Amino acid sequence: MDFKLDDEQQMIVQTVRKFAERDLRTWGADADRAGAAPDRLIPTASELGFFVDAVPAANDGMLEGPYSHTTRALRGFELGRGCAALAALLETNVEPALAAEKWGSPAAKQALFGSLASGGLATLVHDSRGNLEISAEGDHLRVTGKLGPAPALGVATHVLVVARDAVFLLPTEGLERAAITPSGWRAARWGTAQLETTQVLASNVLARGDQARAIGNEILAWARVSLAARAAGVATSAMELAKVYADERVQFGQKIGQFESLIRLRDDAETAAHGAKLYALHAAWAIDTHQPNAFDLASRARVVAGDAVTRATIDAVQIYGGYGFVNDYPVEKLMRDARAFEALHGDERLGRVLAQKGQE
Amino acid sequence: MDLFHDSPLFSGVRQMLGGFATKMIRPIAIKHDQEESMPWELMKLAAGMGLTQTSIVDGRKQMTGVDDNATDLKKPKSMARLAVVGSEELAYGCAGVCLAIGGSGLAASPVARMGTEEQKAEFRKLLHGSDEKGHIKVAAMALSEPGTGSDISGLKTIARQDGDHWVIRGSKQWITNGQSAAVYVVWAQTDEAAGRAGVRGFIVGRETPGLIPGKKETKLGIRASETAQVHFEECRVHKDMMLGVGGATTGLADTKKMLDSTRPVVGAQAVGIARAAYDFLLERVRGSSLFGTPMASHQHIMFELADMQMEITSSRMLAHKAAWMADHHLDNVAESSMAKAHGARTAQWVTTRAMVLLGEEALEPGHPVEKWYRDAKIYDIFEGTGQIQRRIISKHLTGQNPT
Repeated sequence: MDFKLDDEQQMIVQTVRKFAERDLRTWGADADRAGAAPDRLIPTASELGFFVDAVPAANDGMLEGPYSHTTRALRGFELGRGCAALAALLETNVEPALAAEKWGSPAAKQALFGSLASGGLATLVHDSRGNLEISAEGDHLRVTGKLGPAPALGVATHVLVVARDAVFLLPTEGLERAAITPSGWRAARWGTAQLETTQVLASNVLARGDQARAIGNEILAWARVSLAARAAGVATSAMELAKVYADERVQFGQKIGQFESLIRLRDDAETAAHGAKLYALHAAWAIDTHQPNAFDLASRARVVAGDAVTRATIDAVQIYGGYGFVNDYPVEKLMRDARAFEALHGDERLGRVLAQKGQE
Repeated sequence: MDLFHDSPLFSGVRQMLGGFATKMIRPIAIKHDQEESMPWELMKLAAGMGLTQTSIVDGRKQMTGVDDNATDLKKPKSMARLAVVGSEELAYGCAGVCLAIGGSGLAASPVARMGTEEQKAEFRKLLHGSDEKGHIKVAAMALSEPGTGSDISGLKTIARQDGDHWVIRGSKQWITNGQSAAVYVVWAQTDEAAGRAGVRGFIVGRETPGLIPGKKETKLGIRASETAQVHFEECRVHKDMMLGVGGATTGLADTKKMLDSTRPVVGAQAVGIARAAYDFLLERVRGSSLFGTPMASHQHIMFELADMQMEITSSRMLAHKAAWMADHHLDNVAESSMAKAHGARTAQWVTTRAMVLLGEEALEPGHPVEKWYRDAKIYDIFEGTGQIQRRIISKHLTGQNPT
């Protein structure tokens, strides 16, 4: 057993950490206020290989050989330390690209990869409560219901939809779509889309029935690990900021960081954040090495990370006190950003309960 | 003990303010949250109903949570309990709006308690009528400072005497109504050697030269209530406007005592937020299904609602008990801290869990539960953080302040 990163992973972590600390953190605060990512994000991140890292090299992407979810989790942690909203945009293409490559028709691949290679974005939507009405019409599908809220859905050219009985790609052209700005991940170009017996071409259907369950679980496992890693990053960032503040702020004649209750707040949240990071990495490794419990680990990683990011961000605001509640300081943003980690793709614990009852 | 017995007085207030919260506050709450604006129209209406807590300086009975005749120990009061019952309802509508309505009360309370008749008259005069925008006039209590949040003993704002005037210099932080107030009750150190005993309150009209309303804060929650910095640069205040001169109660010690009555009220507001989120979730659960099964048939969801109900009820009872003790002139220092800290914890926990159980829906812009999640956090921070409340409770146990 070896926790040491290989040379390539080390290089990626160092590069992304620098990018996150220097650029994402700085841009993140303004992007949050503006509800929009800075124009520099796309070119800068593209140079670092984001957006097409899961698109095969043969299709003008960067991927040669198998995709590494472990590397993605390492990177996601650093991105989360930078800014959750911008991180969501940087990671949004991965699931659609990997799913298309693995299960997509030649036509679906061509359309999606063509769009991604020319700067388009795609996003994943999970119908976590069975709200979509999906019916077959020959080889095509007809879908009615609401998609989202989902990050990048406001601008994406394609949506990868994971529903219980079908997994499909949906070009967004012609869809009734609304761009929205929630109070967390404000710069993540969120959107919703309303489908009214919308036709999904057979060439865009990745799977149906039992096969849809199986590949849906796999796709969600990728997304869960990525969310968990980023959530661990946000939690870690919250506690890094809280420590700096607690070491400076003096009340009752001593640094507040020296009060045992605040040591405990920080210490427990740090323990949880580090645990979440390790869980995400373990699940990622399990996916990469095809362990039989990989998808279950991914789901558990998200449970742990959801708890960790909730606790750390709420407690960071607590440690900052009155300053934590105002926008001039960085932690209230983190508390808003924390919510999407537990809400996206539905309540993870509920999903686990239903799965274990065989009701998923 | 009338804690469990809903007297007509309490149920009447609950009904009236519950209706006000649902019909008048709820429909405008999201708008004022998104715009970060004060609900002036509603504040005017609330003032007419006696809810703005400023007329206590008039000696009339109002919902303040503070008995202005606390020295009459023979007769139990109902003020604290009324305030607790009413505050839960108003905060059920929207905590930000509730605080906007009640914000002036923070300044009115020390004036009612410590002010001379002349000072009360001056305070009333400054609050009379409306401003050029037609808004009702509001008051601000200016105590906290950049360096003194939890620890209010080291105030840096100084007042020095110069003939018939006091000259105030310093900066205040996190001041409710800080930008809009027509009158401020400012706390300043008049005698550094005396420490806490040297801190005095002053009634200062907005137009007083040297009083400079500062930057309005953009906040995580309670955004319908204005919070701003206030600066005092050589601000001259006539000595007659210093509170507590010659009275039985003087400075900051009395303000701290006042908090024993207001903490249960603050705890009750937190209960209001928690109940709002709980009710929303319950309503959603009743009407929704999960992959074709009724949501209400799932223990995963229903047991959590049961836990929420338990916590909300516990918090409410703590607030009622602490208020009942205040009304009966009993020492409720520990109980009021428990009520406040427990309410804050409940509000944060219920709103967070409600968001998780609602799933993606709660991420929609303007979703009320997401707003309540943001509103709830301040309840663990203002009026003494959760840590300060536990410090007070701890000291009550052993007589020592643990560090």
